[in-house]
Amino acid sequence: MNLGVIRALVAKDFALFFRNRFYAYISAIGVVFYLIIYFVMPSSVDEELDIGLYAPVLPPAFELIQEEEGFNIVPFDSDEALKEAVTDGTYYAGITLPADIMEKFASGEKPLVTLYFSTNALDELKGAVETMVRELAYLQTGQTLAIDISSEVLGPDMLGEQIPIRDRMRILLVIMLVMFEMMGLASLISEEVEQGTIRALLITPMSARELFTAKLVMGASLAFIQGILFMAIVGGLNHQPLITIIALLLGSALFTGTGFLIASLARDMLSSMGWGITALLIYAIPSFGIMFPGIITDWAKAIPSYYLADAMHQASNFNAGWGDNWANILILLGFNIVIIWGGIMALRRRFQ
Amino acid sequence: MAQDAIFADNLTYRYGNLVAVDHISFSVAKGEILGFLGPNGAGKTTTVKILTGQLKPKEGKATLLGMDVAHNIERVQAEIGVCFEETNLYQRMSALENLNLFARLFDVKPFDGYALLKRVGLAGREKDRVENYSKGMKQRLMVARSLVSQPQILFLDEPTAGLDPTSSEAIRNIILEERERGATIFLTTHDMMEADKLSDRVAFMNQGKIVALDTPDNLKQQYGKRALKARVSKKDGKLESREIDLDTPQTADAVQGLFKKEKVVTLHSEEATLEDIFIKITGRRLTE
Repeated sequence: MNLGVIRALVAKDFALFFRNRFYAYISAIGVVFYLIIYFVMPSSVDEELDIGLYAPVLPPAFELIQEEEGFNIVPFDSDEALKEAVTDGTYYAGITLPADIMEKFASGEKPLVTLYFSTNALDELKGAVETMVRELAYLQTGQTLAIDISSEVLGPDMLGEQIPIRDRMRILLVIMLVMFEMMGLASLISEEVEQGTIRALLITPMSARELFTAKLVMGASLAFIQGILFMAIVGGLNHQPLITIIALLLGSALFTGTGFLIASLARDMLSSMGWGITALLIYAIPSFGIMFPGIITDWAKAIPSYYLADAMHQASNFNAGWGDNWANILILLGFNIVIIWGGIMALRRRFQ
Repeated sequence: MAQDAIFADNLTYRYGNLVAVDHISFSVAKGEILGFLGPNGAGKTTTVKILTGQLKPKEGKATLLGMDVAHNIERVQAEIGVCFEETNLYQRMSALENLNLFARLFDVKPFDGYALLKRVGLAGREKDRVENYSKGMKQRLMVARSLVSQPQILFLDEPTAGLDPTSSEAIRNIILEERERGATIFLTTHDMMEADKLSDRVAFMNQGKIVALDTPDNLKQQYGKRALKARVSKKDGKLESREIDLDTPQTADAVQGLFKKEKVVTLHSEEATLEDIFIKITGRRLTE
């Protein structure tokens, strides 16, 4: 492997990339744009939670519910109206008391209290609401197991913790930012094929291995530098920086391999964009899952970027160390090998 | 074979069922210019691709400077320069940047790109982006790029196609200078005048096969008809043409008879062109 040749090719690719006005502007503006999006997002979480209550009959002890700290109780006129408000996400939780609650308490029977939770309700909230209702029932009856509770999640269940939305969103932003570079690389390669310059390169003493190494170095470094710059500015490196850096480096290489695959299919800049956006949408799905926990299920684990997004999310948002992330990193590495190898094979065929 | 720069033995290449190159064998001596002539689709470019290591032959073997191309591709490519038919320069880079890039890929140190550009008549425009060049300037830059490593073998694929006379002449002069330097030149063209003027030998390629290979003079002698062409003036003032075959026993009598019986206005000899010979051999025109 001749390092001088690789340096020459990387320098040439960087020069050509930044002389393409579209990609030069996108690269420069992209970082600023995503930073703006991040900083306009709320940086704190509202600790006062709105909870809906439908109670045809309100037991005296339950009147204390208004005094519960951290909850803002909003009365509803019907069970249907409450369900609708929880389903569309206006309220995180709703409580419906049965009309015969007092009669049941009086006869020693257990009334059925129904709890509704929205898809983005946290586990802690569910536990807190249930505990609160049981406490109020105890106050009312003096018995510990005075009620039966039925919990219902309206819409898909979501897991997660209280993290500002912008910190959830930064994983999506960094992946989008890095993937735009992938489109630029794919466009650059397909332009080389279409203009025949790749033929001129391949009749020099340089080997195909050196050519692919140079493209990989160029693509991955361009993506990595922007990604790491973004993460550093938005505080994504404040916790477990090494894990985030390694994950981002592997992710940049993964997207470069994907760029090779796109370049093997695309005929010009426009088709590079078309294929690139398709890949971008697929690769962005796991990051949407981080923004809105519960909207995706295990099938998302088939998407290579899942392990990149999860590793960065766990490390930067939960301070999760190697014990929690080694599997993510290893699987990401495995996907890298497969996709880069596949990309190189596909491009070789195109070059020939 | 030891002194041959290029040796092709039974080369064959197929695209699916189409035989593009059909068991061709030839050699080119060091310092020789071989004109490779044939109409579009004859297999010229495929032959160049095989010789330069871009394609692996389905059968046969190509040897450059004694090295098997298939097994020594990087060593072979270090010794050759290729000027492609289609312009494949980096358009958003300057002429000098294009040459410097290839100098680094060939590990040429020190490299004076400016001197090379001056040689092809592009001095003063070296920092302009190639996208702003005319077709002739781009073609001259293509030739300059093929010379970056001072190659022992130069493959030129239609180097003057579609160029103005000045650019064509500049490129022809460079080809002759390169031969003076000792380079072997494989010149692919369907311009028979250019091939006739520059080539030591020419090969005619048709439908994947080499149908003739010799010096232009030998081919003309072997396949061409030599004749005298005369214009004579009749009594009524009208001009008529007369033709006398130069290769028959009656030639002397015919010439004597012409001058005795007719008033000769002009007289000149005529020999066959490579185009005529190609048509005679293949029944096709070079420009088809």
